[in-house]
Amino acid sequence: MPSLYVHVPFCVKKCDYCAFYSLPLLNSCEGLADYLRGVAQEIELRSNEAPAGVSSLYLGGGTPTVLSWRQLDDLLKEIHLHFTFLSGQGKEGQSFPEKTTEANPGTITEEKLKVLRDYGVNRISLGAQSFNDRLLYQIGRIHRAQDILHAVKRIRKAGIENLNLDLIFGLPGQTLEDWQDTLRKAVGLSPEHLSVYALTLEEDTPLGKKYLARDLNSFKMSDRDEAGDLPDDDLQADMYEWAVDFLSNKGFRRYEISNFARSGYECQHNLAYWRCEEYIGLGPGAVSCMRRVRSKNIEDMEAYLKDAAAGKRPFDGAETEFLTPEQQMSEYMMLGLRTEQGIDPIDFYHKFQVSIQDIYGQIMANYIDRDVLSISGGRLKIHPNYSFVANSIIKDFIR
Amino acid sequence: MAQASRNIRNFSIIAHIDHGKSTLADRLIEYTGTLSTRELKEQVLDSMDLERERGITIKLQAVRLRYKAKDGEIYELNLIDTPGHVDFSYEVSRSLAACEGALLVVDAAQGIEAQTLANVYLALENDLEIIPVINKIDLPSAEPERVKQEIEDVIGIDASEAILASAKSGLGVEEILEAIVKRIPPPKGDDEKPLKSLIFDSKFDSYKGAIPYIRIFDGKLGKGTNIKMMSSGKVFEIIEVGVFTPGMTIVEELRAGQVGYIAGSIKNVGDTRVGDTVTDADYPSSEPLPGYRKAVSMVFCGLYPVETSDYDRLKDALEKLQLNDASLMYENETSVALGFGFRCGFLGLLHMEIIQERIEREFGLSIITTAPSVVYKVNTINQEQVLIDNPALLPPEGKIESIEEPMVKATIMVPSEYVGTIMELNQEKRGSFLNMDYITASRVSLYYELPLSEIVYDYFDQLKSRTKGYASLDYELIGYKEANLVKLDIMLNGEIVDALSFIVHKDRAYQRGRKLVEKLRGLIPRQMFEIPVQAVIGSKVIARENIRAMRKDVLAKCYGGDITRKRKLLEKQKEGKKRMKQVGNVEIPQEAFMAVLKMDD
Ligand SMILES: Nc1nc2c(ncn2[C@@H]2O[C@H](COP(=O)(O)OP(=O)(O)OP(=O)(O)O)[C@@H](O)[C@H]2O)c(=O)[nH]1
Ligand code: SF4
Ligand SMILES: [Mg+2]
Repeated sequence: MPSLYVHVPFCVKKCDYCAFYSLPLLNSCEGLADYLRGVAQEIELRSNEAPAGVSSLYLGGGTPTVLSWRQLDDLLKEIHLHFTFLSGQGKEGQSFPEKTTEANPGTITEEKLKVLRDYGVNRISLGAQSFNDRLLYQIGRIHRAQDILHAVKRIRKAGIENLNLDLIFGLPGQTLEDWQDTLRKAVGLSPEHLSVYALTLEEDTPLGKKYLARDLNSFKMSDRDEAGDLPDDDLQADMYEWAVDFLSNKGFRRYEISNFARSGYECQHNLAYWRCEEYIGLGPGAVSCMRRVRSKNIEDMEAYLKDAAAGKRPFDGAETEFLTPEQQMSEYMMLGLRTEQGIDPIDFYHKFQVSIQDIYGQIMANYIDRDVLSISGGRLKIHPNYSFVANSIIKDFIR
Repeated sequence: MAQASRNIRNFSIIAHIDHGKSTLADRLIEYTGTLSTRELKEQVLDSMDLERERGITIKLQAVRLRYKAKDGEIYELNLIDTPGHVDFSYEVSRSLAACEGALLVVDAAQGIEAQTLANVYLALENDLEIIPVINKIDLPSAEPERVKQEIEDVIGIDASEAILASAKSGLGVEEILEAIVKRIPPPKGDDEKPLKSLIFDSKFDSYKGAIPYIRIFDGKLGKGTNIKMMSSGKVFEIIEVGVFTPGMTIVEELRAGQVGYIAGSIKNVGDTRVGDTVTDADYPSSEPLPGYRKAVSMVFCGLYPVETSDYDRLKDALEKLQLNDASLMYENETSVALGFGFRCGFLGLLHMEIIQERIEREFGLSIITTAPSVVYKVNTINQEQVLIDNPALLPPEGKIESIEEPMVKATIMVPSEYVGTIMELNQEKRGSFLNMDYITASRVSLYYELPLSEIVYDYFDQLKSRTKGYASLDYELIGYKEANLVKLDIMLNGEIVDALSFIVHKDRAYQRGRKLVEKLRGLIPRQMFEIPVQAVIGSKVIARENIRAMRKDVLAKCYGGDITRKRKLLEKQKEGKKRMKQVGNVEIPQEAFMAVLKMDD
């Protein structure tokens, strides 16, 4: 059964590091209505892709909470009208199916939360990023630390029992102490889940341009001086390691390289991605993967709307991929090895009809010899000491 | 008797590097209308990408021109453009054996340089008619009279009829063509005699097999002729005969005196040997042509595929390249670190670099080259002498009585103000002064005896940079001399990497070891473990550095929307890794193996 992702490509303002497809609203809210109409058309068009229903919902973005409560209501109504959700109870009393909405501090109101609750949204992923106002300002976030506290209070008041905070480390000018402080404050808010990312510089973002520029002179150095240097790899590794220790002491398990949760609160929607299960992505720029075909919707609002209005599936032909068995295996290993659970050779066999030994035996043996990989509980895992250099290992599993 | 056509002229263009051979060939091609203006580009005979990128000729290249001379007759001119760099001198000597004459091009601003002399001597050995051409007289710094004088004084040939030319402007081209017709003798052969033709070059074509390039001395051949390779006795039927215009153009037949190519489904590369004589199997010649002296390799290095499974492809590549480059030598070799590969012999470092690049480009292979070495003579305590061209194979210290290294006599031509600089350089390079001549009042030839290994190392670069490019160098092997030499090994992660070992003079060992270890620390990327890098002589560690463990190599997040992108990113990184060689648990980039050479950067 696939999971369902719906992309809401709007933000109040673009953050300086962000390469997601999202349009800044600035002061005009036109476009939201068009989008809602278009996505409703796509929902209807594609509802037959999940005849047996979907296993989870993820409203992502962008910032889904830039929609008004009425607009949220419209969107969720369409979704629930056309897709059925698997129902039941998760383990440890966690409500099921998992329905997540991403949100930004500063865009959350009681009304919106109520609408979300009404449709069974039981998980909020809040883009906190940092509790340091100077750093928040420097990366172009619209909120401040105070806004996070308010947002969390409202979320809890609305009865949401599964809260994730996104945090970024490796920001320009960030010190280990800054990061420790952010983590302490985040944990102080008692979230169930934490996503902890190292900043990735993307070429076409203001931050990327500033720090990836080869010709340093072409940018105002004063800009950079003010923000400070990027923490080097060693400092980033220190930040990561500190986070892992700290969070583990506070009862969070690292169930994936960048994801930490209290027991039972692992994100089901993401776990499905990491197990290479199927998913349907709706909205401009959203990606679907069904029956080994990965397809991407047009990442352009106008063209998207045009296709949707014409009753055509609004996908971008040039981005369609028919995954070869080699590519599937590569992805299976790439994603699976990032998880704490690791990879189950039996599952591998079921999926690919070939033994993992036949494909990767030698590489595995070499790494197991050196205690980089281990087999425990019958599963193949990266030793936790090597999580932060996982790419070096995973690379060898790419075919 | 049917004499070879009196209207054929065969000649090479020879010169020091960059004196304008290929540009002059352009003008001759242009003047005779062999190529249209549209087809003509600068140095059109430099057809290999590598030649064009580097602006030098690497391969000899033949081309047939049709020239209507002032006497009203039409002549067939077979021109062979040759390289000027010392590492490709084997191309020159092979070209000359297919000719009756040579245009000796001398840069009017620079005068006679080391390879001018070396190439002139080759031409004289072949009894060729030499036509001196003083080129680049359009340059403001041109001094044609001085250069004429140099030609007379240094080479000892009459320069009164030297032609003043500019291959840039076309000045003197007609005069050159007339001189070729008038002064170079026509070939002597006889069409009716048994076929006798010399393979002066060859190449491999995936459809037609090995294609020998030949100069016919006697007899004739055409499609259907059964030819016999005189060295092996193997017989092939010719299916195609052609000439170079400069592309391959099919003709009916080739006769005595002519230059062209033949194809005969010669699938086995080993069946065409440069220097071999091709005769008619049904009407054979009784004796072969003298052929060529083998090229003497100056430097050796190991060539290994990065992917061990590419061994057969590398072997195939070397076989085919050897067809096209008769000075390349190779034999099997194994390395503890690198597995199965080849020990290859080259005429110099540029030659080695070119072969490495051709393997990568023309055959799409990633390869590792190990540190270059010369051939040492090792006298063991049991009174045996072994030749060592691979430092890894040097017998243990206790078994060695003495080591001898190859010596060269180097000729350095330089403006006299640099004499001091050259002496200093040679002192650093363990050279001993032999002699000095004045070429003119302001230029001298210096003669030194030097260890070949020093020339191989960075001598040439140093010579050029210390004399602002004014010095030129030629050298020849003169014998062996005992020296205080030791083997320096490099240990990575506690294990000797045999491919990085080299032999060095004891007085330099410490300094080179330090530098190399530092260099390697910079070249080898951080890996999952800390890697000690040590330089050792015998069991004594003389230098050590640590490559710290890598701490970050991770993707921030992997969600549904960007799995493809992440996979592709890793695919790309994996590609990058392909240029690394896994030795034990350490990944070593290709450049690291060449670090020995580039320690002074
Ligand atoms: N000014 C001037 N430049 C020339 C003349 N002939 C050649 N050159 C330049 O000299 C350089 C070397 O010319 P090439 O024809 O490649 O020399 P080459 O002798 O074939 O060089 P190698 O084959 O590498 O030994 C080029 O930049 C030419 O443009 C000339 O008559 N006048
Ligand atoms: S809020 Fe999120 S999606 Fe929007 S610009 Fe910032 S980082 Fe990008
Ligand atoms: Mg040339």
